Amino acid sequence: MMGHRQVHRTIQASIGTLLTFMLVVGVSACGSSSTSSGKGPISVLMGTAPDSLDPGLGATTQSYEATWITYTGLVTYAHASGEAGTKLIPGVAQSLPTVTNGGKTYTFMLRKGLVYSNGAPVKASDFAYAIERAIKLGWGSESFLTENIAGAEEFQKGKAASISGIQTDDATGRITIQLVAPYGPFLNVLAFPAAGLVPSGTPMKSLGNDPPPGVGPYEIESVVPNKSFAMVLNPNWSKDAIPGIPAGHENIDVSIVSNNQSQAEQVLNNSADVFDYNDTIPPTLISQIESQASDRFAKEPTVSGLYFFLNTKEAPFNNARARQAVNYGLNRQALQRLDSGMLQPACFFLPVGMPGHPTNAPCPYGEPNAQPDLAKAKELVRQAGLEGAPVTVWGGSRAPHKEFIDYYTSMLNEIGFKATEKIVADAQYYATVGNLSNKAQTGFLSYSQDFPNPLDFYQLLDAQSILPTENHNLSQVNDPHIQSELASLGPIPSSQLSSVVPRWQALDEYTAKQAYLAVSGYEEVPKFFSDRINFGAAIFHPVYGNDWSSLELK
Amino acid sequence: MRTLLRNRVALAFGALFVAIVFACLLAPVYAKDVAHTGPNDNHITETVNVGGKQVDVVSPTGVPIGPTWKGRFFLGADSNGRDVAVRLLYGGRNSLEIAGIATLITMLLAILLGTLAGYMRGIFDGVLSRLFDLVWAYPAVLLGVALGVALAVGGIDLGLFTLHSGSLLLPAFVIGIVFFPYVAKPLRAQALSLREREFVDAARVQGVGPLRIMLDEILPNLTSSIVVFVPLIIANAILLEAGLSYLGAGVQDPNPSWGTMLADGIRLIPGAIHLVLVPGIMLVLTVLSVNVFADGVRDALDPKATVRGRL
Repeated sequence: MMGHRQVHRTIQASIGTLLTFMLVVGVSACGSSSTSSGKGPISVLMGTAPDSLDPGLGATTQSYEATWITYTGLVTYAHASGEAGTKLIPGVAQSLPTVTNGGKTYTFMLRKGLVYSNGAPVKASDFAYAIERAIKLGWGSESFLTENIAGAEEFQKGKAASISGIQTDDATGRITIQLVAPYGPFLNVLAFPAAGLVPSGTPMKSLGNDPPPGVGPYEIESVVPNKSFAMVLNPNWSKDAIPGIPAGHENIDVSIVSNNQSQAEQVLNNSADVFDYNDTIPPTLISQIESQASDRFAKEPTVSGLYFFLNTKEAPFNNARARQAVNYGLNRQALQRLDSGMLQPACFFLPVGMPGHPTNAPCPYGEPNAQPDLAKAKELVRQAGLEGAPVTVWGGSRAPHKEFIDYYTSMLNEIGFKATEKIVADAQYYATVGNLSNKAQTGFLSYSQDFPNPLDFYQLLDAQSILPTENHNLSQVNDPHIQSELASLGPIPSSQLSSVVPRWQALDEYTAKQAYLAVSGYEEVPKFFSDRINFGAAIFHPVYGNDWSSLELK
Repeated sequence: MRTLLRNRVALAFGALFVAIVFACLLAPVYAKDVAHTGPNDNHITETVNVGGKQVDVVSPTGVPIGPTWKGRFFLGADSNGRDVAVRLLYGGRNSLEIAGIATLITMLLAILLGTLAGYMRGIFDGVLSRLFDLVWAYPAVLLGVALGVALAVGGIDLGLFTLHSGSLLLPAFVIGIVFFPYVAKPLRAQALSLREREFVDAARVQGVGPLRIMLDEILPNLTSSIVVFVPLIIANAILLEAGLSYLGAGVQDPNPSWGTMLADGIRLIPGAIHLVLVPGIMLVLTVLSVNVFADGVRDALDPKATVRGRL
């Protein structure tokens, strides 16, 4: 017979096993910051490490947040919140370019007297070198360069030693760029940190752990991969170096803290200064923050959309009624709650803040802020003879995206489909659904602007973006009307967008009617700082998020 | 049997396990007649009457309602507005089903290969023992996660049968493979010892073939060990399933399991603590009850056995 000691030992063993399990799965560590003299440094938390801090490689929002104030290109964006921040201003160029040859030739003059953070003088030829380096290293958005600059594709393929379409003269500071064809957002492309100047001779290899010198108010130092890095005020930068680019106020320590609960608690308790706007504040903390820290918390609208793609080449969504049914059935208020209230329900593809967003047009499949019309959705599925049609819903594992997929699958089942889920790790998600051999029928899609031009969003519906792998057009839309409008609107420079806004709006209304996507809404993000930061003075930039150079201590 | 019946502690925990199994089997009845909702039905924008007031099932900022202690949302809702009590029972069905099938796979493989290796010795033993060592060498959780993640998207096609991603058989198959050496090795050692005993020699002298000897002479003498191992494997399989599901390598969404419920709830601590407490407590009670009962069975069948309550 088993005695009491035996029972006790068994219970201990079982509880021990369970505790070990809970410890393994339930606890996350958090990073720490170094200290600096005086009032600073400012402690910034980041949920996901930048993909690279080398401007020639980094292509994520986390990377751009650091590199756009470190590596200035020929042009850059005004340091301002809201629409004012989308304005392009001269960077290391003296002025905005002269555009000739029907929009194919851009001519700049380099600003005189500029030096890198290491004190070396800036030369015109450094621009060509920076572009070649970004292509050589495989910057994530290199197609913006290779598809537009004459000779860039040959250089990429190793058929040319340099890019024939870029001519520079160090003596005069003249830089001439020849394009393959007119491309409206080309100046926006040049505003990417990847086009920021680095000294000629910078090694053609990844320098993510020891970033090269740049032209900007900060330099990046002390990189501990996936853990921390420091943004140090550039000793060779004066506030008048480039008009419109302010000098920073404080050194900044950036720590990677993947647990967003821990991040939010640290900022709420003032043990860190800046919450990562890319992360979601856990729902259970939002009301606490709104009541205890309302003077240092705000929901900032972003030019980004959450969608469900509907593959027009695969059943059942090759049937327009099936796509319409999804749009009728989608409960956007439910998605808003799943996103901790940080989603503005909507129905149009282009988000608010993007030129071309339809402002006064009615939504074709019901008001997004009202309850969905499930009866109509079921009727459409029935009419199309698609009741019980199998649908696999793809999604990433990260919260709240997985919760979106749980809801969306439940809704598809409710309106008559037979839906199941396929959740893949976030890091592999877009590569998986972007592989045409997987025949992804529908799934989650999130997109944030690369630059403030609707052409950026419409690459997701451009037939030329349909590729066997790394396909961007997940709905596989090949619509002649969209193609003809893109061909016509694409060459219009960003600076002249206002003249074609009505055409973009008409195109976006057309896209909504075709129901190529089920639009959930536009995301808001948290601007959340500690008590130490001057909240009112901090800029939330429409392209690059929190402008660290505007952070100042009270 | 009499010894086991005298062990009230073991019997009490055994009864608790039976009660949990019974409750889980009644999940569809509870869902239909008490909660009036399915395990995957979302009620995000609905309200529920609590104390005469209409309360959001999920608040505008995404916080789900806690236990109402009434039929609907008795144990609260999760972030998708799904009834936690319904998902707990369905999750239990899934967890127990996986644990049961995994245990079956483990025991079949272990009995077959352990007996073969122990009785046949020679090349059989050499190859099979190295196979046991190979699987044993990997930490069980790590191996389970690796297999689970690799098979989660594409499933597995074994020619004779195909396991699709999302099938509950997939985690059962993974867990069954992971645990079989833990049973096969002791059984092999016992078979190795038994094959030298006089009654086996006697059978051999009478001209009985190896297969007949293994079935008639060796296997019956392994029965008490096998019976002791079964509940231990079940308990560990439940735990591993919860771990795999928590990490996304076990039961696939939106199907519930106690592991996926823990994973869903962890981001809502502390505001919706019920989301981790409810499946956590259920997991503790289930594993504890199986383990204590297993110890009772072992003491009854084989008081001198060296097999202990943990693998």
